[in-house]
Amino acid sequence: MTEAFLSVRNLRVSYQVGRNFVHAVDGASFDIPKGSITGLVGESGCGKTTVARALTRVIADNATISGGQILFNGKDLARIPEKEMNALRWRDIAFIPQSAMNSLDPVYTVEYQLGEVLRRRGGMSRAQARKRSEELFDMVGIDPGRLTDYPHQFSGGMRQRVAIALALALDPKLIIADEPVTALDVIVQRQILDQLKELQTRLGLSVILVTHDISVVAYICDRTVVMYAGKVAESGSMQAALTAPSHPYTMGLRNAFPDLQGAASGVLTPIEGAPPNLANPPTGCRFKPRCPFALDLCGSEPPVVDVAPGHPVLCHRASESAALRIEAAKTETWMARA
Amino acid sequence: MSNFKAVGSRLLQLALVLWAVVTILFLMFRLMPGNPMAAYIDPTFTLEQQQQLMAQFGLDKPLWQQYLIYLGNLLQGELGQSFRYREPVGQRIWILLPNTLILTFSSLIIAYAFGILAGAYLAWRRGSWVEQAAIPMVLTTRAMPEFWLGMVLLAIFSFSLGWFPAGGTRDPGAEYSGLLDLYTSRDFLAHLVLPAATLAIYSQGLPLLLMRSNMLDVMKEDFVTMARIKGLSNWTVVVRHAARNALLPVMTSFAIAVGYQLQGNVVVESVFSWPGLGRELVNAVAASDYPLAQGAFLMIALVVILMNLLADMLYAILDPRVSHA
Repeated sequence: MTEAFLSVRNLRVSYQVGRNFVHAVDGASFDIPKGSITGLVGESGCGKTTVARALTRVIADNATISGGQILFNGKDLARIPEKEMNALRWRDIAFIPQSAMNSLDPVYTVEYQLGEVLRRRGGMSRAQARKRSEELFDMVGIDPGRLTDYPHQFSGGMRQRVAIALALALDPKLIIADEPVTALDVIVQRQILDQLKELQTRLGLSVILVTHDISVVAYICDRTVVMYAGKVAESGSMQAALTAPSHPYTMGLRNAFPDLQGAASGVLTPIEGAPPNLANPPTGCRFKPRCPFALDLCGSEPPVVDVAPGHPVLCHRASESAALRIEAAKTETWMARA
Repeated sequence: MSNFKAVGSRLLQLALVLWAVVTILFLMFRLMPGNPMAAYIDPTFTLEQQQQLMAQFGLDKPLWQQYLIYLGNLLQGELGQSFRYREPVGQRIWILLPNTLILTFSSLIIAYAFGILAGAYLAWRRGSWVEQAAIPMVLTTRAMPEFWLGMVLLAIFSFSLGWFPAGGTRDPGAEYSGLLDLYTSRDFLAHLVLPAATLAIYSQGLPLLLMRSNMLDVMKEDFVTMARIKGLSNWTVVVRHAARNALLPVMTSFAIAVGYQLQGNVVVESVFSWPGLGRELVNAVAASDYPLAQGAFLMIALVVILMNLLADMLYAILDPRVSHA
C-alpha cells in the first residue's frame, strides 16, 4: 500500500431530525492512497454520500461533523476554520456530482461556469480561462466549439463529461465522484468510466468513487471501502475484496450483482431485508439481522480485524472468512434467512 | 428563421386576443340595462329629435351592423365620441393614459425592486428573527385595502404633516409648456409620491413572497450546492446562482401585476383624484358614457396584452431553455 494522503479516522456525521440525532456516518475509518481510485460502495442510506460530502464540508443544513478526523495534507479538514476549508475546495478537492443536469446552472453557458471556477478560484485572466476551458474540453473529448452552449443543449453523457472537465479545471489532488455514472445507460457508463480511468492514470489523480454498483467498482477501482449502516464493513485492495471478501455483507453484495465481465455466471442472490433505521440502529453488529452467519456474540460491538495487511474487516467472525466464503457462494445460505 | 416564425405566431395570437376583447366589450355594453341615450337625451326632446340623435350615433341600426361599424372604426383608430365630453374618446384617453402608466410603472418598479431584494434577503436569512418579524409585516401590507392605505397616507403625510399635496397631478394654477415639462417637474413628482407609495406598499408583498419562496427552492438545487463545493463566495452563490434563477418566475409575475395594478388604479386614482384612466373609467360607467368606458377598457386590455408579450420575450432572454426550445 502506498502512503495514505487522505485518512479518515472515526468520522461521525449526524443529522438532526426533530429532537433526535441520526448518525448517518458512525465511526468510519479508511485511507485513500495517492494516485488510486477508491470505490466507496454500499446500499442507499449507508452513509457513503454523506462521507463524500463531509470531505468537502458542504453538508446539509441539519448535518454536522460530530466527531473524528479527516486528515489531508497534514490538516484535519474536520477542524480547520471555514475560510481555510474554502481555500481548499476545488483547488485541492473537486467533486463530480451524480446528476450533471441539475448540478450545472441552467441559465449560464458551460464556458461561463468553467470560467467562473478558473477565474474566481484559479485567479486566471479571461484569456487564460478561455484557453484552459478549450484544453479541458479536449481532455474530456468534447468539441471546444460547444463551450458556448447551455447545459440543456448537451446529452446526459456529454453533461457528465462537462462535469468531469469542471472537476479537473484547477488540477485538484483529489476528486470525489458521487455516483458519476448512475444516471446514464450502460454503454455511456462504460465510456465515462474509461475516460475517468484514463485521465486518472495520465494526471496521477486520486479519486474516490461513490457508488452502489459493485460492478462499477470492479471495473475501474484499485481499492474499495464497503460501507454498511454508517460504518465501514471492510476495506482493502480491489483484488482482496473481489477474490477474498471477508465481511459477510461484501460476500452478499458480490452475489447480488451480475458478473463484472458480462458473463452470466449464474443466479443473482439478493440480500434479504433492508438496512437498519439509523435513528435506532441494532446493538452490536449492524448487519446481524440480515447476516446468515450471525451468532450470539454478534450482539456485541464487532472488532476491527486485519485479515491481511491493509485489509481491515469489521466482523466477529473475520478469522473464519475463508470458510464463510464457501457457504456464502451458495444461494441457499441467503434464502434460508428469508 | 424559427425566431421570425415564433414572433409571427405570437403577433397573430395577440391579434386574436384583441379581437376577442373588442367583441366582448362590444356585447357587454349592449347587454347592460338602461338606454345609453338616457343620460344624453333630454327628456323634453321630441321623439323625432330623439330618433335623429339615435341615428346620428348609429344606434338605430341592427346589432351586427353596429358591430361591423365599430370594428371598422377601431381599425382606423377611431374610438367614437364621448357622450359626456362631446369630444373624441381617443383624445380623452390620450390625455389620461400617460398619467395612469406613470403611476402604475413607477409604483410597480419600486415594489418589484424592493420585493426582489427583500425576498432574496429573507430567504438567505431563513429562520432568523429578521425573517420572523418581516413575514407577518409583509402579510399585513398585503391585507390592507388600497383605499384605506391611501387614506391613511393622506391623513398622515398630507393633512397632518403637509409634506405632500392631497390630490391631482399639479398645483392649481400651475402651467406647463408641454407634457414632458410637466412630468419632470417637482410639482408633478410631489403629487406622484403618495399614490405611488400606496400602490407600491400594496404591491411589494407579491414579488417579495414569490422571490423568497423561489429562493428557498432554488437554494436546495444541486447547482447551488455545487457552487458551494466549488468554494465560490457566498455572494456569488446567493446572487449569481440562486437569485438569478429564482428571478425567472418573478419577472412573469411582473407582467401579470401590471394588469392587476391597472384595476387597482381605479381605486387609488379615485382616492387621490389622480386624473388617470381608472378614475375616468369609473366615472364613465357611472354616467353611462359607453364609448368612453369602452375605450378605456380597451386601452387597459391592450396594455395587459402587450405586457404579457413583453414578459414572454423577457423570459426568453433570461432563460436560455425557453429561447432554445
